[in-house]
Amino acid sequence: MEYKILMKNDIVKLFNDLTNDYKFYAPTKEKGNIVFKEISNPEEIELNYLNSKIPPKDVLFPQKETIFEYRYEGKDVIIEDRKDLDDKILIFGVRPCDAYSFKLLEDFFAFGKVQDEIFLKKRKNSTIIGIGCNSPRHSCFCTSVGGHPFQKDSMDLFLVDLGEKYLVEAISEKGKNIIQKLSWLLDAKNEDLQKSQELAKKSEESITTKFNFDLVTKILGDNFEHPVWQKISESCIGCSSCTFLCPTCTCFDVIDENDEYNHRGRRIRIWDTCQSCLYTLETSGHNPRPDKIQRCRNRIMHKFSYYPSNYNCLGCVGCGRCIIACPVNNELRIIIDEIIEIEKKEESEKVNA
Amino acid sequence: MGIESQNNEIQNKIREIARDLLKEKKVDVIIGYKKGTLPLVSQPIIIDKEEDIDTLIWNNLCYVNLAKYLVPRVPKLIDPEKGNLKVGIVSKGCVGRALIHLASEKKINLNEITIIGIPCNGIINRQRIEMEIGEQEILEVSISGDNIIVKGEDFEKTFPFEEYMNELCKVCKIKSPPSISKFPNLCVGDYQEYSSLSTDFKDVTEFEAKNPEEKWEYIKDSLSVCTRCYACREACPMCYCNLCFVDQNKPIWFGKTTDISDIIVYHLIRAMHMAGRCVACGACSSVCPMGIDLYLINRKLEKIVKERFNFTSGLDPDILPPMVDFKMEDAEEFMLEED
Repeated sequence: MEYKILMKNDIVKLFNDLTNDYKFYAPTKEKGNIVFKEISNPEEIELNYLNSKIPPKDVLFPQKETIFEYRYEGKDVIIEDRKDLDDKILIFGVRPCDAYSFKLLEDFFAFGKVQDEIFLKKRKNSTIIGIGCNSPRHSCFCTSVGGHPFQKDSMDLFLVDLGEKYLVEAISEKGKNIIQKLSWLLDAKNEDLQKSQELAKKSEESITTKFNFDLVTKILGDNFEHPVWQKISESCIGCSSCTFLCPTCTCFDVIDENDEYNHRGRRIRIWDTCQSCLYTLETSGHNPRPDKIQRCRNRIMHKFSYYPSNYNCLGCVGCGRCIIACPVNNELRIIIDEIIEIEKKEESEKVNA
Repeated sequence: MGIESQNNEIQNKIREIARDLLKEKKVDVIIGYKKGTLPLVSQPIIIDKEEDIDTLIWNNLCYVNLAKYLVPRVPKLIDPEKGNLKVGIVSKGCVGRALIHLASEKKINLNEITIIGIPCNGIINRQRIEMEIGEQEILEVSISGDNIIVKGEDFEKTFPFEEYMNELCKVCKIKSPPSISKFPNLCVGDYQEYSSLSTDFKDVTEFEAKNPEEKWEYIKDSLSVCTRCYACREACPMCYCNLCFVDQNKPIWFGKTTDISDIIVYHLIRAMHMAGRCVACGACSSVCPMGIDLYLINRKLEKIVKERFNFTSGLDPDILPPMVDFKMEDAEEFMLEED
């Protein structure tokens, strides 16, 4: 395997060399928040960040997306399909947890007979340049969901932040092609590799939030009805911060917006959330998830019980965004502890009996 | 007295009163705040056991308006047999105002509630601190003297509390729940006479001096990052509609996207619904995951209502709020006003 070195000063060069071939997305600061946006000026790229507020999922599966547009011509309706789906996309600076989320998104959008062409085409046309996570937050727990702060899944190029420079490793064919194109990249030395390994180890050790999710999945399977859900949903105010900032949430709503005056319209999809009162509301007026208790349960069940049974993996990448975002601190770590507690209580009851 | 010792005193008082209320069975449950698991948050809790009293805290991060849990009542406040439980609620000024205002809208019965009144000393502007610290993880936040001390692994920063409290707290004149003479047993602990409220709105004059284009730019710019997670709405004690206008879908009333026009429609129509109802708690801004501060919109509304109707929300449960009431002499010239 060939390793290269990219000096941080040369990010501008990298951008200039790649921007003609790709729509170049990178982390940038927008009103104080780190978000992934299409970059037109390399000065906008923010290299000093823990992780983005809104996950890079937003690039491939944006909060609002046009499925197609239509216009009336006399009695005919002309449908205009998306023309930008073949554009090459490059996402620079994706953290390992978020890169792994792309795999989960692919699984979802390719699940069953119906293939989501829009997402899958975009994913196929995208190149991911990931950067290892040198300083995970205390709320991060990727190592508990099968991840690692230096995991390279779903990436094409993997970068390690060595201070003034990045160690560059090609993971896929796409990545190798980029390295070839950027012929000016420097060669890496042994000490760079060594430093990278040290950083990976240090980073992994700094993750202190650890869960036994096998146990959680097992407990959830047996406790759909349990008083714990009452407790878990008690302080939830029912906003959608946790789901809207989640890199693995995929629910969307489809809406037709008709512009009668201009004889045209569009079919769009927007993020939906299981925390909304409209989410499972049926036309009859019946709502199988009428209260926060069922909605909170659904979010946890979906990620840690339904995902394992449907996709054979957890529906969580351990980024901890929901932990930080919850405005009433009804956070995942507490929720998981409560769930583990169910088993502990049962065990101790058995012993006492 | 420093803020830290004020907080300790308030916290002790909360625990003392809460313990007595539960012991004497004057209330069945207490709604209060618990220490958060992250440095810039607190956790609302509902306790029904005396042994949990010591988890109740007071600090300058108790930003959630606890009145939210009463309309509609969360399940823990209702007994399947007895019906509505008697609730004690830790109340800074704006929580007290929310309760009184909700009573004026006939949403709660004050006889079922005991207000544990405390003199709030202001809430930290957590969003602003987070933004200014930027991309470093905050591990500890404390108050020392007049300063907020924010610590991380390899940094320590000091923010003057006066400057870094919520904008609405800076101009707040009702620190404790307003006294209601008609309900002498409603409030235990601190309450505040509200006869001497000032009508000073200097903080909005800068905004008012802007021309319409500049105002529009300000609104557009400050709301542009909204994800429409509706945390502001869900945290607002006055947002209790069964179905929000923005959720109307048979047919859809307003666009649901994050296009700036749809975002603005949501926020400005919600603002209209807050006229004469907002109790200036600032919870909407404190909970926003994107750090949007709605204080200026809320303050401007407060000013308009004060000037036109001489009304301040949340002071008297028997005075109907101006948007609920109608008087023949109500001025209508604003229909044609330019700004």
